[in-house]
Amino acid sequence: MLVGRIALAVIFLAAAYAKLKPQTGMPWSVASVKTSLAMFAMQVDSYRMLSVSGVRWVSHLLPPFELFLGLWLLSGIALPFSSLVTTLLIGGFFSVMVRTYALGLEVSCGCFGPGEQLGAKTLIRDGSLLALSLAVTIGAFLIQRSRDRAEISVGAPASQRAD
Amino acid sequence: MGNPNAPIVMEVFSDYMCPQCRNFYMNSLVYMIQDYVSAGKVYLVHRDFPLPIAQHKYNWDAARWGTAAARIGKFEEVDRALYDNEPAWEADGDIQKVVAAVLTPAEMKRVQKQVAPCLTQTPANLRPPAPAGQSCSLDAFINQDMALGKAVPVQATPTYVITSKGNRLPAGSGFVSWPIMKQFIDSLLSQ
Repeated sequence: MLVGRIALAVIFLAAAYAKLKPQTGMPWSVASVKTSLAMFAMQVDSYRMLSVSGVRWVSHLLPPFELFLGLWLLSGIALPFSSLVTTLLIGGFFSVMVRTYALGLEVSCGCFGPGEQLGAKTLIRDGSLLALSLAVTIGAFLIQRSRDRAEISVGAPASQRAD
Repeated sequence: MGNPNAPIVMEVFSDYMCPQCRNFYMNSLVYMIQDYVSAGKVYLVHRDFPLPIAQHKYNWDAARWGTAAARIGKFEEVDRALYDNEPAWEADGDIQKVVAAVLTPAEMKRVQKQVAPCLTQTPANLRPPAPAGQSCSLDAFINQDMALGKAVPVQATPTYVITSKGNRLPAGSGFVSWPIMKQFIDSLLSQ
């Protein structure tokens, strides 16, 4: 559980960093991050699923959200919910990738920044991530449920506890 | 195409018979040529990367016509004609007709002279007569582009490689709509 949660957190932090980091030869600045996001927008656009404004929204919101999600997972706060959000997000990515691959569109994956082609390898990797995330989510909910039960039985009056 | 000293250099590896390459050219690159290449802001380099796909019967021949046109300084016109009329020459293999429509008879003669010994896929009745004893020199240029592509590495077409102020950025591939590509170029130019 702990290893899976930390692994997912690191993966999301790495994915956010890869999308936000300045391109070769550019220093860290607001302008260079904007350029990186504009480059990520081209990768999002190549999937051919969104309108121009949709591409702009997704490309500007997704990397900061991945950063937030990575930090949330790392903190362990409300783990059942952070892992559920992670599973839904990876599930969304995975279905988009499967659709694109099935349509025969040859595009840059955009998963960990530019330069990676979408293919069988990236599908296997994202499928494995989805399985890991699902396992962490189920585990987190099971642990939460057993904790809730323990709290109820500890907090209940003696007459109810006997039940 | 454009000013070789432009702050942005964009190399596009493409196959004249790849639908995404045509889409990319007609819906994005045309606007880039009009607004940024003509203004000296982007230097656009076409690189031939004919894919080894059985259905792409005439992709090498199209690349040869384009390369021959480039050698007489008429690449832009022929490149556009090849993409604009791709469905027509894909159907009958008559690339010559498409090229002839955008060149003067004298220019066409010079292009035909280079292309004639190279044509392999074009139906025999549509090939210009090959001058005796002349060998195909155009394939060396195409093979050079393909070697550059393999070094990128190009895994699909179109693949574009952008160099901004001397810094080469990671390659991208697939169709990108013009407003999104324009946003990226403007962002690079503002650095």
